[in-house]
Amino acid sequence: MANSAEKQKRENLVDMFIQGARKGWQISTNSMLPNVVMAFVVIQILNVTGLMKIIGNVARPLMAVFGLPGEGVVVLLSAFMSTGGGCGAAASLYGSGALNMTHVSILMPAIFLMGSMLQYLGRGLGTADANKKYWGLHVGISILNALLSMVVMRLIMAFF
Amino acid sequence: MSSGEMMHERKRVTWVSYVALLVAIVIFSGYFAKVTEWWRVFDFTTLLGSFGNIKGAEASFNFRGAGGVGARDGFLFSLSLMPAVVLALGIVSIVEGLGGLAAAEKMMNPLFKPLVGVPGIVGLAFITSLQSTDGAAAMTKQLFDDNEISDKERTIFSQLMFSANATITNYFSSGAALFAFLSVPIIIPLVVQFVFKVFGANLMRIIVNISEKKAVA
Repeated sequence: MANSAEKQKRENLVDMFIQGARKGWQISTNSMLPNVVMAFVVIQILNVTGLMKIIGNVARPLMAVFGLPGEGVVVLLSAFMSTGGGCGAAASLYGSGALNMTHVSILMPAIFLMGSMLQYLGRGLGTADANKKYWGLHVGISILNALLSMVVMRLIMAFF
Repeated sequence: MSSGEMMHERKRVTWVSYVALLVAIVIFSGYFAKVTEWWRVFDFTTLLGSFGNIKGAEASFNFRGAGGVGARDGFLFSLSLMPAVVLALGIVSIVEGLGGLAAAEKMMNPLFKPLVGVPGIVGLAFITSLQSTDGAAAMTKQLFDDNEISDKERTIFSQLMFSANATITNYFSSGAALFAFLSVPIIIPLVVQFVFKVFGANLMRIIVNISEKKAVA
């Protein structure tokens, strides 16, 4: 082929897409699905045992500040452990009617801003060899980010 | 060394890169979600399409059905999300391959110093951090070892990456679980994440500066 040299230099669009799509498949099966299944099982356990109602009642005053029902706290706690779990918990609670679209929208950025903190301590800060003196603060600031983002999302919701 | 040689190691940024970046932003913004003309192909939900409905009694459900709970419901739900993750990361991969992310890096480089107080050389690590926590962290350590950034700058930059780490990858994989339940365009929660990443880094910058002054005094 005349332009094979050119082709070698430039990966074609199809190859690029397939590469990314394959990564998407791997993330879906290795990371997302196990996390979502875990979150759905946790929510099921909380529902069956009646713990969800108790958590909802206890967290109601705090979550009300962000325009969320008490159950919203389960999403944040799950997110802290794993981002995928937080998303799964939110999806499950949406499915059961505990959260509506406005609630999910308010929670959305927060799930990521305070997501997978423990994991990222090792994989992020540990690998970068960041000053250990500030590790606690990294977590604290990220949680603050998440809380403030819910306030901002609540304001943004006024436009939609 | 000519600028051409300097760019040789990295992805080449041409006008195609900027177009690719722009098109991707349009696709994910949902800007054309509501139009009915042909240009709705530039919309993520259009490209994602829909599952067929299972013909049933009165309601038409897709394979997930309704009213499921527990692991089985979680499994089918995950299955229903996979097309979105596969498609989204495929699109991101094209943008990256055409140099769109490098173009974003180029545009952002001059912003790092005024916005978060770290040198623009962190640009490549930052762009990497949008996709990979581990890769970006390793690059950050390298930047410190090469004396390109100080320990203080490393802490501030680490905060920028730490909150909402692997932003793009996480948002378009795990986050896809919630795209259908959002009452805002999917790009808005993403923009809010970036705003707070910068906010958090600046909070860290202030605290580190204060604690360093104390240490000197």
